[in-house]
Amino acid sequence: MEPIGVCEGAGRRGGARVAEIINPYVLYAMLALGAVGVAIALPRRGVSWQVLGAILGATAIGAILLSLALKTPGQIPNLYFYVFALVAVGGALRVITHPKPVYSALYFILTVIATAGLFLILSAEFMAFALIIVYAGAILITYLFVIMLATQAPTEDDAEVLTEYDTTAREPIVATLSGFVLIAALTTLMFRGVPSLERPAPVTQQLVERMPGKVERFLRNEKLLQPGEKVAVVDGVPQISATTQQITLVGEGGATRTIAWPEGLALDNPERIGWSLLADHPGTIEIAGVILLMAMLGAVVLSRKQVQLDEDAKARMAAGLQKSDKLSTEEVSA
Amino acid sequence: MSGAMMLAQAGFPAEMGGVTLAHYLLVSVLMFAIGLIGFLTRRNLIVMFLCTELMFQAAGIALVAFSRFHLNMTGQTFVIFVLTVAAAEAAMALALVVLLFRRRESLDADEWQEMKG
Repeated sequence: MEPIGVCEGAGRRGGARVAEIINPYVLYAMLALGAVGVAIALPRRGVSWQVLGAILGATAIGAILLSLALKTPGQIPNLYFYVFALVAVGGALRVITHPKPVYSALYFILTVIATAGLFLILSAEFMAFALIIVYAGAILITYLFVIMLATQAPTEDDAEVLTEYDTTAREPIVATLSGFVLIAALTTLMFRGVPSLERPAPVTQQLVERMPGKVERFLRNEKLLQPGEKVAVVDGVPQISATTQQITLVGEGGATRTIAWPEGLALDNPERIGWSLLADHPGTIEIAGVILLMAMLGAVVLSRKQVQLDEDAKARMAAGLQKSDKLSTEEVSA
Repeated sequence: MSGAMMLAQAGFPAEMGGVTLAHYLLVSVLMFAIGLIGFLTRRNLIVMFLCTELMFQAAGIALVAFSRFHLNMTGQTFVIFVLTVAAAEAAMALALVVLLFRRRESLDADEWQEMKG
């Protein structure tokens, strides 16, 4: 069976090397600068240089995006892309550098929204809204709940408790180095050509052949359908042909007439995703449903389990109690 | 946002000279590497899982960009399954994190070093 959703005239391949979208030396220099900035901006003990790191990182990302924009002249650069990309990457940087987990989660929501913007530019409207609803609406709220649940209660002396494991990064230099070497390797290997993005049209008109209801609704909205007329059906097959670009209609008295394919009759993005999901991957949906059910059961079982404090944790608690005498033992074990 | 929406429906970006596939892949790579760095450096269990979500997000950008480039819906369909896995992972991982927190009163990943084996 031919996969549904494949469009005619798929993208043009070819093009030139990485140099066509960005100067490689600029890219590598800016990546090195960004690596230094990120390594500085990661939370650390003692004096924090986060502002300096932020400036360096922002300069690097801004320069990469700017040189991307300058290398593709001739047309007005796609402003929305650069804005959303900047917000997404900047938010992601802030997720990993902010010492407070709550703020990390909020910056992640910012990244999700910017990513949804990128999806909109890619004409994936359904995925954009699904991303905001599922990620920003459901997953991140769960994260926020757990952050609230699993935080040590502030003492009366200082309301802002920053624990040691939040303010100290583990191996910031090595990790940043490996991360940015990964970026350099991927960009070098990846940008062998500069393929441009085609227009979404011509959309799959073949799929419309199987949707007489949509055709009738479209024709009615376009005032092309006379009252009482329907799409003709012969032997259970609607008379809609994308190859000959003709639609046969049948009136109330049984009189038929054939009209040409109206302009703009094509599937929307959610309709095409629905076809792809249900016609091409029906088994995968079932598996996804089972995975979600299992995750829900597992989460319920895990969170109902009663656990006791460890011995050394108890000892630490007791030491803390002697010092501050603020927490009662009931609160600790509860 | 409505401006971007209209541009999307009008078949934006334009064919040549505008934004190419490589632009989106660059953003995806940057975001993935940032998530990786965060996973390696942060010691708070919750923030580590947030960084994995960041990497999921980067994979999603690449998938949707490829889907747009090949004018094929399978990439976007796959992002739905990535979302599913992310949601399942968040539910299980956060339940585990709450358990671990109740046992040690700390979210530090280094607290559990003896599990290295």
